[in-house]
Amino acid sequence: MPTIDIKKHDLDGLIGKKLSLSALEKHLMLAKAELKEYIEETDDLKVELSDSNRPDLWSAEGIARQIRIALSGKPEVYDFFKHGRKATREIRVSKAMKSVRPYIAACTASGIRMNDDVLTQMIQSQDKLAEIFGRKRTTVSIGIYELDRIMFPVDYRLAEPSSLSFIPLGMEEKLTLAEILERHPKGIAYGGIVKPFPQYPVLIDSMGHVLSFPPIINSREIGEVKPQTRNVLIEVTGTDLRMTMLTLNILAVSFYDRGAELEPVKVTYPYSTEFGKVVAFPVNTAGKFKVPLATFSAGLGENVALTDVKKRLESYGHIVSAARGQVAVTVAPYRDDIMHPMDLVEDYAISRGYDSFEPVMPQQSTVGSLSRLELLSDTIRGHLVGSGFQEIMSNILCSREELEDSLQPGEQLVEVDNVMSLAYSVLRHRVIPSLLNVEAVSSKAFYPHRIFEAGEVAVFDQSAIMGSRTDLNLAALISHPGANFSEMHSSLDVLLYYLGLEYKLEPSGHALFIPGRCGKIIAADAELGFIGEVRPELLERRQIAMPCAAFEITLNGALRLLIKN
Amino acid sequence: MTTSELQKLLESFHPLEHKVLLSFDREGALSASDILTRSGLDESRLDMASGWLQSKGLLDVKDESVTSLVSLTEAGKEYLQKGTPEMRIINALKEGKQFTVKDIIQSWGMDPSEVSSAVGALKEDNAVRIVQGGVLEDTIGLVLVLPSYESIGKLLRAVSEGEPADLASFPADQRAAIQANFHKRGKSKGIFRITEKKNRSYTLTDDGKELLRLIKERGVVTEEASALTPEMLKQGTWKNKKFRAYNIALNPPRQSIGRKHPYKEFLDFVKYKFIGMGFEEMRGPLVESEFWDMDALFMPQFHPARNIHDVYFVKNPIAAKEIEEPFGKRVAAAHKDGGKTGSTGWRYAFDLDRAKRLILRSQGTAVSARTLASGPKIPGKYFSIARCFRYDAVDATHAPDFYQVEGIVLGAYINFKTLLGLLKLFGQEIAKAGEFQFRPAYFPFTEPSVELHVKHPELGWMELGGAGIFRPEVTKPLGVDVPVIAWGLGLDRMAMVALGIQDIRDLFSRDLDFVRTKKIQLNK
Repeated sequence: MPTIDIKKHDLDGLIGKKLSLSALEKHLMLAKAELKEYIEETDDLKVELSDSNRPDLWSAEGIARQIRIALSGKPEVYDFFKHGRKATREIRVSKAMKSVRPYIAACTASGIRMNDDVLTQMIQSQDKLAEIFGRKRTTVSIGIYELDRIMFPVDYRLAEPSSLSFIPLGMEEKLTLAEILERHPKGIAYGGIVKPFPQYPVLIDSMGHVLSFPPIINSREIGEVKPQTRNVLIEVTGTDLRMTMLTLNILAVSFYDRGAELEPVKVTYPYSTEFGKVVAFPVNTAGKFKVPLATFSAGLGENVALTDVKKRLESYGHIVSAARGQVAVTVAPYRDDIMHPMDLVEDYAISRGYDSFEPVMPQQSTVGSLSRLELLSDTIRGHLVGSGFQEIMSNILCSREELEDSLQPGEQLVEVDNVMSLAYSVLRHRVIPSLLNVEAVSSKAFYPHRIFEAGEVAVFDQSAIMGSRTDLNLAALISHPGANFSEMHSSLDVLLYYLGLEYKLEPSGHALFIPGRCGKIIAADAELGFIGEVRPELLERRQIAMPCAAFEITLNGALRLLIKN
Repeated sequence: MTTSELQKLLESFHPLEHKVLLSFDREGALSASDILTRSGLDESRLDMASGWLQSKGLLDVKDESVTSLVSLTEAGKEYLQKGTPEMRIINALKEGKQFTVKDIIQSWGMDPSEVSSAVGALKEDNAVRIVQGGVLEDTIGLVLVLPSYESIGKLLRAVSEGEPADLASFPADQRAAIQANFHKRGKSKGIFRITEKKNRSYTLTDDGKELLRLIKERGVVTEEASALTPEMLKQGTWKNKKFRAYNIALNPPRQSIGRKHPYKEFLDFVKYKFIGMGFEEMRGPLVESEFWDMDALFMPQFHPARNIHDVYFVKNPIAAKEIEEPFGKRVAAAHKDGGKTGSTGWRYAFDLDRAKRLILRSQGTAVSARTLASGPKIPGKYFSIARCFRYDAVDATHAPDFYQVEGIVLGAYINFKTLLGLLKLFGQEIAKAGEFQFRPAYFPFTEPSVELHVKHPELGWMELGGAGIFRPEVTKPLGVDVPVIAWGLGLDRMAMVALGIQDIRDLFSRDLDFVRTKKIQLNK
């Protein structure tokens, strides 16, 4: 989740009070934020935010707002959401946008007292919202422009990649849309979003000047905000209307907090949306909830007073009225994360402070236990440790190469589709290859080697709902100059004797073992596993210069037999 | 040395040292060979024991002489059997045979250089000459030199009988002959080998004499035993034995033992803690559907909350055959508009195909979701130690797969305060923490959510885990109507400290020596 940079003096200015670092750290908990670093010389704060569902907090303005409200105890009211005047500026959406990037929301902010801090926060906020909330600009992207250079109405439409051209931000020359995707760093980074379409989205004003090529890049002429800029157009495009609107609301509120004047922009859609065809943005999408006091008391584990709930929720930013044993809450317009009354219970607890709640030890009495499989595994581990075996633990995700030569004819592996590294591209299907990995790097460890692992494996199984099943397998391996079948058989024999499993060995062939020195372990007609002397080819391939014998059994299978008995 | 110092020395006397010391009379020097005879030791043991005695200041080397010992070389042994080349030629001539040098080489199986040097010597002594056709012929001179050639044969016999014989014991002329045949023919072809042997004689020092006196005075113990044997016990002979004291400061030989893996030992400790706190173990599959790993946990399919971590997708098959009903339908409704959970939902069209997509389990909470859907006990407590996979580049802080310790607590009286109480219990039991801090946190599936920070005795303040009360959007669709605490603990850092390692990959080290020798410090 995002980590953002803020100048402390800027944050203090927005809060309206100079906070000590320790007071700040405490107050940051209100925003589920953590102070990572403060560099005194440069006045730089590094703050990490954990709530991916509260993008309004990913800026100096957002964090300051949450703290400012807590200090004042009063929610802040954003009147500009109630449009007094009709929107005079218009963006017209063309029909073709519906299948490419259907939604746009916009408003204007004027009278901005621009300085370095404001500009830095504006750019950072834009970046975090588009990258994280907008999933690398796929669902949401943002453009901010010099308002005074735009002649409305503005068209949001598609254009031919190779015919339309403009000078993009950060470049000196005119490029076509196609060239931008090829040559501009942002085009290279985000081009994948529009490439599937034959034509690309653009915003063009009535004079034919290009504002931007969403979600890739603004034009240098109109879309560059400078320290002397006072009036801007804020525009958000996206694939999800609610996320698009929320992003605009967050930006609008932040400009407002900095003293700007907000005015609506009318967007005309040729297709219907959840909010109609003609929408004047910003729109307050805030939810309204009626929650009985009992929900708070039950959720928190103590009786709370209605007035207290009202007070705490207000000092967290909600507009609250309380009457007849319930609160009516109007959520702040920059938030869209309240879906259930429990969300308000949490807001209450955060607002009051988690440390104000006395932990109560859970009194309910329950019986602790291990699964039968884990119990069996523990019994066997104890037995093998007592027989002089060293326990091993291995990774389950590994390379195909490690497993390939132990595959039986027709046997398949569970494979990863989005492979990052070939070293971690399949799940192991048995444990012996993991033990051979140990032998491959442990020739210097003094002999004899007697090792085992009881661990999970993924068995490819076309008939299973999930296409595979997870088994718990046990494998043991011995390695020393005289390691052989008979010694390994003794270990298996005494283990199965104590488990109470009668078994027999049936001569068999196996990819892992020397022909004629390998057997299937059969118990009550079920195949439990196999035992044998490891093939020299396999040892040579792993540069193991010591004979090895091994066995592997399924503990799920063993457990089934034990339960039946 | 004082008598008590000598007594002490005697305590740790090795049987070999005893034997050497006892072969001395009080006076006089003894040669090594005398000691060998008297003590019955072999040479290497005498060397060992005399070394020890010298280092203890009990024995001195008095005299060192060198003996030259003569033995036969391989060639010498062959000549002893077949005769020297010269005698073989002389004998053949005496028998009246006619032959050339070439004949000797071709039919007698002798080395050309051997033949030419033998013929050369005989010619020089005027014992043979070469006539027309290269044929050898004896001369009158042969009679004069014959005894000297015959004497070599006798000498070979004499040496072989006394082998290795002292060079000094031979008469002067034979000594000369030996030396001539040692030098003249060089090492490879020589028929005698002369080796030098150092012969020492030893005397006891004053301390040595005193110690010998003490041994004789004590008299009773004639034999020291190095080990108690079953025979001694059976026959009672141990009563007359003295057991040599060991040097117990020596390092013992290494042993290979059977042992639990140290990380597993740590996890066992955690496991038993949870059983002690009344938790029941739950298990789940390594390969999960997105449904159980994320959708059932109310993580929206197309929302940034889903990006909290990236996952590994399975290649074949790519999707589960089905989503268990009624859970599929109910979870879809919760996402879409809240269904019957009292929530607004995420307000989007839930994609059932996406839910079927198979992945490697990315969080232990998937196991909790399955348990909720399986009709759990109420009240009930469950835990799992589940292997999970994250799509991260592997490095010292990211393992390709790792364990998550997670669980749930179900009950009608579950609330925020009991959540804090449970976390406090975990902090006390598992991290032995005395101080706690609860911080607001965010998890897509819990509300309220909390992070537990504890003051660990060794690590200082650390985040021990995250927890919360499952959102009704999670529990209700899975058929659970009581509040449920969901918790997860981050124990890898504690495990790494307990094991004394810095690289998380070492938790699953392949190095047997590492696994055998790593100790685990459990803060029990």
